[in-house]
Amino acid sequence: MTSLMMDYEFKMKTQNERVKVEDLFDYEGCKVGRGTYGHVYKGRRKDGSDSRDYALKQIEGTGLSMSACREIALLRELKHPNVINLIRVFLSHNDRKVWLLFDFAEHDLWHIIKFHRAAKANKKPVMVPKGMVKSLLYQILDGIHYLHSNWVLHRDLKPANILVMGEGPERGRVKIADMGFARLFNAPLKPLADLDPVVVTFWYRAPELLLGARHYTKAIDIWAIGCIFAELLTSEPIFHCRQEDIKTSNPYHHDQLDRIFNVMGFPLEKDWEDIKKMPEHPTLMKDFKKNSYMNCSLVKYMDRHKIKPDSKAFHLLQKLLLMDPNKRITSEQAMQDAYFSEDPLPTQDVFAGCPIPYPKREFLTDDDQEEKAENKQRQNQQQQQQQQQQQQQQQQQSQQQQQQQQQQQQQQNQQQQQQASNGDNHGNPAKRVRLSGTTHPGQAIPISQQQEFHQQQMMYNSGSQQQQNFQQRF
Amino acid sequence: MAGNFWQSSHHQQWLLDKQDLVRERQHDLSILQEDEYQKIFIFFASVIQTLGEQLKLRQQVIATATVYFKRFYAKNSLKCIDPLLLAPTCIFLASKVEEFGVISNSRLITTCQTVIKNKFSYAYTQEFPYRTNHILECEFYLLENLDCCLIVYQPYRPLLQLVQDIGQEDQLLTLAWRIVNDSLRTDVSLLYPPYQIAIGCLQIACVILQKDHKAWFAELNVDIERIQEIARYIINLFELWKTYDEKKEIQGLLNKMPKPKPAPQR
Ligand SMILES: Nc1ncnc2c1ncn2[C@@H]1O[C@H](COP(=O)(O)OP(=O)(O)OP(=O)(O)O)[C@@H](O)[C@H]1O
Ligand SMILES: [Mg+2]
Repeated sequence: MTSLMMDYEFKMKTQNERVKVEDLFDYEGCKVGRGTYGHVYKGRRKDGSDSRDYALKQIEGTGLSMSACREIALLRELKHPNVINLIRVFLSHNDRKVWLLFDFAEHDLWHIIKFHRAAKANKKPVMVPKGMVKSLLYQILDGIHYLHSNWVLHRDLKPANILVMGEGPERGRVKIADMGFARLFNAPLKPLADLDPVVVTFWYRAPELLLGARHYTKAIDIWAIGCIFAELLTSEPIFHCRQEDIKTSNPYHHDQLDRIFNVMGFPLEKDWEDIKKMPEHPTLMKDFKKNSYMNCSLVKYMDRHKIKPDSKAFHLLQKLLLMDPNKRITSEQAMQDAYFSEDPLPTQDVFAGCPIPYPKREFLTDDDQEEKAENKQRQNQQQQQQQQQQQQQQQQQSQQQQQQQQQQQQQQNQQQQQQASNGDNHGNPAKRVRLSGTTHPGQAIPISQQQEFHQQQMMYNSGSQQQQNFQQRF
Repeated sequence: MAGNFWQSSHHQQWLLDKQDLVRERQHDLSILQEDEYQKIFIFFASVIQTLGEQLKLRQQVIATATVYFKRFYAKNSLKCIDPLLLAPTCIFLASKVEEFGVISNSRLITTCQTVIKNKFSYAYTQEFPYRTNHILECEFYLLENLDCCLIVYQPYRPLLQLVQDIGQEDQLLTLAWRIVNDSLRTDVSLLYPPYQIAIGCLQIACVILQKDHKAWFAELNVDIERIQEIARYIINLFELWKTYDEKKEIQGLLNKMPKPKPAPQR
């Protein structure tokens, strides 16, 4: 007798009770976001029982991936005004898609910063309340403090994952989003690379991660917050770095470290005693000369961007961006910082009741067009990479730093000219990238995963394209 | 989520009432005696434990899978989904939630096949009948019935703290830990918060080892009556085990168990 797995009556009963996302919500043609793990749509209730906007995230791929499980498991438990609220989960049995229903957040820091950069480039001032950056930072810290005190690490903090609510009852409130990568850290952790072949974008990665730290810590989230704070103050990603040679499972990333040292200076032994214990310390010693960074410091970098070294903002930034993770400030300490008790005080509505100057989210075109655009950009980029390589060779021959800088400048100019014709792209600047080399041994990659990998490669390429656009606009 | 049991879905939604359990089980208990019903759950807890050990999962993952399994049948009759399918599905889901890395589909099925054949042939004479697509379909039903509550608090962590507080006694910890494992074969994980279960198990361990920690227990700020109830459940299990020969009885019980019915024939 073959056993029957499921009772017919039970199946019918659950099917009838199950609500389908497409029956409840209108969202067709309303895609507003595209991330590594899914498509996000703006939706309205079909029955008109309320006229609020909702965000519907369709998780990439089918079924319950580990990251989908994590996002659902954690968001189901978390409740804090500065953490995005998961309203409901829809499981679509026919196509095996998973949908998450959230409150809709009209803005995010990636778009906000982009808007400020564009305004800066056009020399048009943006009218925002004086305390906005402070309010944003305070609420980010508040949300992260909640996560950290519940033993949850975010692990992928970056401007695109910090949402801000638009007009409505929660106007101007920060919502930390994208918990797909978050994890509990109360259990003995498995090494990063063993678990999930996905890395966070490098710009917001703490130096200890780049030097091979085997575990995520609260301090790693704090570094990312420091990066976001600096970016809010200057409208420029503080550790901006081109990201081509990312396709390795090696956490060590020379160019990113170089960029960090160029801003921060090379870490002195007295500042970071345990740096010697980092797995990639020998490589660091081999590849870098501390003398090359003699004239670099965070004071100088921020001063160049008109943030005074004696300001309270700078003092707090310096504590968030300490190279030694053990010395880095905690979210709790940061919230007590004098910066937040100085005028203007942080407000619940980060826009402090002023008109919101940022545009609403635009709807994205359908995938076909996106892909075509990305392909085209990819071709362009390959040409640029070849040029860059040539130029890098030239650079290696010349020893003088000044000359190098000139060439970089040239290089940028050339890129800018080429890209002027590329048009805009709605993707995020820095994407997670799935690493190729880390599937479990002896385990074949199913076709669906290969496709996923392919797609992400494309997104990655369009991502770095975007960074160059970014430079251009600046 | 370690610091936040009181706000958790486990506390708010999944500490059930004894009365609710009785009501939900009415259908199954019209076919099975109460002890027969429990014996079936003891059996499937062992299936989950063995599968988990075979897959080299941590005890925490295995315990979470077992609680998923119990939660599903706390709301549904045994006939709704064949428990032989639900058991590996719970393991599959728990391993993702507890971040043990995804178990590959083929490895899960192969493990089910070998475990059923080598360890449970006294219960199943036929081969493990399910394939990946069954597990995946079942997983959606499981998630729905769990109302997406996937984080389960276990007694192991509080137990470690309690034993540390008594004064690190390895023998005591080992025994109490095993009793916590045994408690998964009772209803306590559906009825009591994990720290109370830890205390109950610890108390039994002290009695068995004849360690007198009465003064220490007296200082704990807990509802002693609840702890006694938990201890009662576990001692009843031990009593049941004394006279129960699973190898002899289980086939009969599995035959008697309510089973999924096909669509009505027209
Ligand atoms: N609640 C929301 N309201 C409005 N827009 C949202 C919401 N959640 C996400 N978005 C938009 O969709 C984008 C992708 O969402 P999200 O970051 O959750 O997905 P992801 O695939 O995990 O992304 P990532 O590439 O950062 O890993 C966000 O950057 C944001 O622009
Ligand atoms: Mg994101």
